[in-house]
Amino acid sequence: MGLIGKLLKKNTSPARIIGFAVSNFIGILIVAGALMFYLDSKDIWDDDEGFVHTDYLVINKKVTSANTLEGDGASRFSAPEIEDLRRQPWVRRVGEFSSSDFRVYASVSQGGRGMETALFFEAVPGSFVDVPSSDWHFSEGDEEVPVIIPKDYLTLYNFGFAGSAGLPQLSEQLIGGIPLQLYMRSYDGNRSLNMRGRIVGFSSRLNTVLVPESFMRYADSRLGDGRGSLPSRLIVDVSSPGDVAITEYLKARSWEMAGDKSGSSAAFLLRLVVGIVLAVGALITLLSVFVLMLSISLLMEKNRLVIHRLLMLGAPLRDVAAPYCRMIIFGSIAAWVMALVSLFIVRGFYIAALEGLGAAPAGLLWAVVTGTVLTVAVVAVNILAVRRKVKTAWGMKMSK
Amino acid sequence: MDSITLKTLLPRVFAREEMPFSQVWRSELSFHRGGRYLVESASGGGKSSLAAFLIGSRNDYEGSIWFDDRDARTLSIAEWQDIRRSHIAYLPQELSVFPELSAIDNIRLKMDLTGDVDMPRVEGWLRRLGMESRLDYPAGRLSIGQQQRVALVRSLCQPFDFILLDEPVSHLDEENNRIAARIVEEEAERRGAGIIVFSVGNPLLIENPVKLTL
Repeated sequence: MGLIGKLLKKNTSPARIIGFAVSNFIGILIVAGALMFYLDSKDIWDDDEGFVHTDYLVINKKVTSANTLEGDGASRFSAPEIEDLRRQPWVRRVGEFSSSDFRVYASVSQGGRGMETALFFEAVPGSFVDVPSSDWHFSEGDEEVPVIIPKDYLTLYNFGFAGSAGLPQLSEQLIGGIPLQLYMRSYDGNRSLNMRGRIVGFSSRLNTVLVPESFMRYADSRLGDGRGSLPSRLIVDVSSPGDVAITEYLKARSWEMAGDKSGSSAAFLLRLVVGIVLAVGALITLLSVFVLMLSISLLMEKNRLVIHRLLMLGAPLRDVAAPYCRMIIFGSIAAWVMALVSLFIVRGFYIAALEGLGAAPAGLLWAVVTGTVLTVAVVAVNILAVRRKVKTAWGMKMSK
Repeated sequence: MDSITLKTLLPRVFAREEMPFSQVWRSELSFHRGGRYLVESASGGGKSSLAAFLIGSRNDYEGSIWFDDRDARTLSIAEWQDIRRSHIAYLPQELSVFPELSAIDNIRLKMDLTGDVDMPRVEGWLRRLGMESRLDYPAGRLSIGQQQRVALVRSLCQPFDFILLDEPVSHLDEENNRIAARIVEEEAERRGAGIIVFSVGNPLLIENPVKLTL
């Protein structure tokens, strides 16, 4: 085997193998690096708080002075309007906000001190709320209602109200444990309902006090006066939140997108940029495969006579292919190891900054998996090419 | 492998030509294990083509070649490689030594491949052929006659049922020719193998061969 290897490696150009390893290293580093950075920083861009998917937009009509004069009917969505929205190509699903048809008061009592406020409830179809169904359900007879409140409420309380009123600041975890007393009364004041509320989360994307739809139906049937109303807000599941068609559609109708959508546009841009970088990395990887294929092919062409003579002596095809396969494997593994080390180093540079921004880095797993898959693919493609070339040499007619 | 049978074999390039008398082409002919054959031909008679057909490096022929009852055209690459390693030893006219390897490494490479013959036996052959020196020279720097002896020894370093020798002594004097013939005969006898020698005029001096005109 040693002698066969010595013969077959004649004419090897280390520069070409190094050239391959370097370009393969760069290609894989770009692909795996882009993926790693994207996954590590996804948190920051996505603003994915877990209750509402980032692809969901909440839209409402602009409140103008005319609305104020005409009553709130003008700010509600009519059935044809909702139907038209449903037909837009970028829309996956549309959900309606239903609002409570009764008065709501909530009180919190803590260590003898109490606080009471008028409140309202809204509900959206359960499929739009990303909370485990064990936390987000209500059936008749339950004594507790899960509630999601806007994060702004807590901010307002902690930094505005608590300080001036001499009350303690509350963390999200703490407030989840404080029982909320809910008093609900019909508009005519004749019927009422008392329940305990449990805050299951704070949302910065849904500016409303959200209860399960099933509770809303139950409470409406007990306390409402039966006048159904059109929704004033819609929640829309869109295929791509950064799509300009959405902005144009809303603008043409003077509708507004609630909450901060810059997060999702930034996420969309990030995805786009990462996509481009991945494509460039993939292209470089592909080119490196061709560099290797051409180098090995050229080398085997130069050693054609040696290969032919070895085969005439009865050398098994795999023995003849082996030295070239080893070159390929060695070059690819060297490239992958260099890329892996570089990934660690690169990650070291940005990870502290990312954590400072509040991201929970995803780790190297997917970058490593992707790099490994790419390396295996590069090796496999080239080994197949070598095998084919050896077979071609076997079939060679005697040149003499 | 006990026999090699040629059935109406003819190189395709000869197909449209008027052929002179031949005991090999277009006839039915068998080589048997243990037999000795001397195939003689004029230049251009297709001697090297026949060798190439038998060793599987070419298949541009009409008719068929049978190894026992197996049609050579149906052999896979792996089967051919096995035949070359273990059933048919072959010394090509062009020798096919690796010029960059030393004489002894040329032989060693084949020994590594087949794992058959031990070094003392090889050294014995080389000594008898007057090749005990210069074994560390790159084979490319040896004379053709010396390369021929190295290639002969190399071809013996494997198990075989038949040994094909294409002009094996074209550059050897008569004494070395006789020594080479003895070595080949001894080795073929030891293995019970058949010897097939091709020649255009300076044949390997084996004893009592069946002479065939190509």
